[in-house]
Amino acid sequence: MDPVPEDTTRPRQEGVAAVRVSGLWKRYGEQIAVHGIDLELPAGQFIGLVGPNGAGKTTTLSMITGLLRPDSGTVEVAGHDVWRDPAEVKARIGVLPEGLRLFERLSGRELLAYTGRLRGLPGAEVDKRAAQLLDVLDLAGAQNKLVIDYSTGMRKKIGLAAALLHNPEVLFLDEPFEGVDPVSAQTIRGVLERYTHSGATVVFSSHVMELVESLCDWVAVMATGRIRAHGPLAEVRGDAPSLQNAFLELVGAQRHGAGHDLDWLGGGAR
Amino acid sequence: MTVTDPLGTTAPAPPAAPTGSLTPVFVTLKLSLLRNGLRQSAGRRAAYITSIVFTLLFAALQLLGLVLLRGHDHAAALVTVGSAVLALGWAVVPLFFPGGDETLDPTRLVMLPLRPRPLIVALLLSSLIGIGPLFTLTLAAGSAVALAHGAAAVVAGVVAVALNLLVCVALARAVATANIRLLTSRKGRDLALLSGLFVAVGLQFVNVGWQQLSGKNGLSVLEPAADVLRWVPPAAAVDAVQGVSEGAYATAAAQFALTAGALALLLWWWQRSLTHLMTAPDASTLQADAPGRESGRRDAGGPLGRLLPAGRTGVVLHQTLRYAVRNPKTKASWATSLAIGLLLPVITSLQGAGSVYTALWAPGLLGMQMYNQFGQDSSAFWMVSQTISSRRDAYLELRGRAMAIGLVALPYTTLAMIVAAAFMHRWDAAPETLGMGLGLLGALVATGALTSAQFPYSIPQDSGYKNVAPGQTGIAWISIFGGMIAGAVLSAPVLGMTIWLHLSGGHELLWLVLPVGAVYGVLIAEAGLRLAAPRTLARLPEILTAVSKG
Repeated sequence: MDPVPEDTTRPRQEGVAAVRVSGLWKRYGEQIAVHGIDLELPAGQFIGLVGPNGAGKTTTLSMITGLLRPDSGTVEVAGHDVWRDPAEVKARIGVLPEGLRLFERLSGRELLAYTGRLRGLPGAEVDKRAAQLLDVLDLAGAQNKLVIDYSTGMRKKIGLAAALLHNPEVLFLDEPFEGVDPVSAQTIRGVLERYTHSGATVVFSSHVMELVESLCDWVAVMATGRIRAHGPLAEVRGDAPSLQNAFLELVGAQRHGAGHDLDWLGGGAR
Repeated sequence: MTVTDPLGTTAPAPPAAPTGSLTPVFVTLKLSLLRNGLRQSAGRRAAYITSIVFTLLFAALQLLGLVLLRGHDHAAALVTVGSAVLALGWAVVPLFFPGGDETLDPTRLVMLPLRPRPLIVALLLSSLIGIGPLFTLTLAAGSAVALAHGAAAVVAGVVAVALNLLVCVALARAVATANIRLLTSRKGRDLALLSGLFVAVGLQFVNVGWQQLSGKNGLSVLEPAADVLRWVPPAAAVDAVQGVSEGAYATAAAQFALTAGALALLLWWWQRSLTHLMTAPDASTLQADAPGRESGRRDAGGPLGRLLPAGRTGVVLHQTLRYAVRNPKTKASWATSLAIGLLLPVITSLQGAGSVYTALWAPGLLGMQMYNQFGQDSSAFWMVSQTISSRRDAYLELRGRAMAIGLVALPYTTLAMIVAAAFMHRWDAAPETLGMGLGLLGALVATGALTSAQFPYSIPQDSGYKNVAPGQTGIAWISIFGGMIAGAVLSAPVLGMTIWLHLSGGHELLWLVLPVGAVYGVLIAEAGLRLAAPRTLARLPEILTAVSKG
């Protein structure tokens, strides 16, 4: 039998880096997706990784979580190297990737049962946790439906449940609120807030600034494969009225003036 | 744009609706879709041109054959049955190939201010463009040529060809429209994914049927069927040409009337389902409030879950079997292996040329299921990869999958061997065949595990025919053919022992092949799994990248 990951309340070290990334590179042919990233993410915080589409957020998160092999650079999660010590890391992290499938021909409940057992948790414990997660995430009514018939919000929630099942120390979520209705988003938010209050670390990527601003203690801004700014939210925001403004300034996006070419638009049908 | 309206059904255009007939619009739309589809890729263009050339060639040969049949005793029976089979094809094909024609999906037109009657005429006429209608036209024309004798019969032939073509197209449209909700739903797409299986198994039956027909007096087999089908449209219209040739005008008139009536009925049915489809809400919006309908699967472990071994092996075994049943691509692949594995010995023995060793197809095809294991997971493999952190995890993962295959393949190989031995009365050869089968199965599981780790590739989940993602064909061929050759080489010791016993006259010892093959199969499979485990562990991100392209 494989070792059962420690699931009782473990000491969470405040102030120590949950994730330490150095010199991380990834190229696809000519294109450089991740441009030598050095980053330290503090433990026990709600961390937002923000950036426009194509900034390299998904590539970075995939490399941090061991789903994608970097060209060069090292990643440590909770003090363990992701590539040299995968057993230690995989037991400590939970992942909800974007753009990858789930086992969609399983029902929500079967998916959790399968994931938990693959992780080596005892069956009875898996079923107990799965039932509670399904309940809290408002999926109990759909637990016997196949995941392929789930809506986007339900998929994100079942993916989150699968990522939380083994009580990881660090949770990585790629665009967890993308395409999610406000009710499901609120549910996800509640679960994540409860989880970080217990001392765990959440790292999530998003391009919705209001969300990041209202949720995160700490942010890293990414654009064109580089980290443009990082630190506590207030620090990154600086003097700007909102994170949105600070972000636009950082990534150098100019405002387009209202177009004069659309003068026919509005003002009565014709 | 003024275009004749053959059925005279154009409703007065409402003020906001486009003036003029819809037919040219739809014909242009169809042509543009066709052209743009070809513009998308050179491969698609090549495939399309190839299929046109083949269809034309086949149609020309058929036309020639039908012309040569002119005057043959059973010509009428053949063309009648042929027309009926073709019409059946028109009814069934849209269910399996819904993606083939975008204009088949009327829900795309739902926001446009269109009236059903002109819409139907326009859709019907634009449906006449394409390879299928061309093929049907050739076949119908050939049928008419084969049967028409005299001026009156030629006129009847022209009418029959037109009616035949219109009924076929209207049938396809009506069936597709009535089932469009099914076709665009997940269940319908799952059904379409199984089409490859129907083609594979159907070909076997075509093969047997062809053998029957090409025998002496083979065509007379068709007479009883033709007697019924000559009253079933559109075959009735084709048979009517024969009636006119023979002077049976009343019968022919009745057959024409029947076919025209069927066409009218089809058009009415089509219009009704079209109107309903475009005005009634989609069932998917209504279902949202009906939770827990699938309450059958209460226990996440399931009854099977309790019988399986504990730990990762059992979990993976269970999951593999569940996916073989629930995932249409995996299901089609399994079902093809199972069906072909049993059909081949039966068919070859029916054809009189069988050998008891054809039973080896069953373990051969089922052993191939071990190939590209992770590709079968598609990008969901990340969930597996996240839980493999040691060599032992990887070994248990592979072993669970191999055991799932063994659980099906062992009894099935035995069954295939029993069936083959019974059909060919070669019970004496049963133990050696089974022994060789088990050796082969073990060798294929071993090479399958290794190629799964070394040469994974994506299986597109939304196409019934593409089993390899674009750009990975080379790696798939290496995986399958390299693996098969390696599998054949690895099972050579058991094969060699059998041959040696045969040649050296040790026939009384041939039963020994069974235990030797069984032990060898288990050992070689175990060795393959043990070799593949560290490779799988080391290549997890590469495997994930390779299987995420579909």
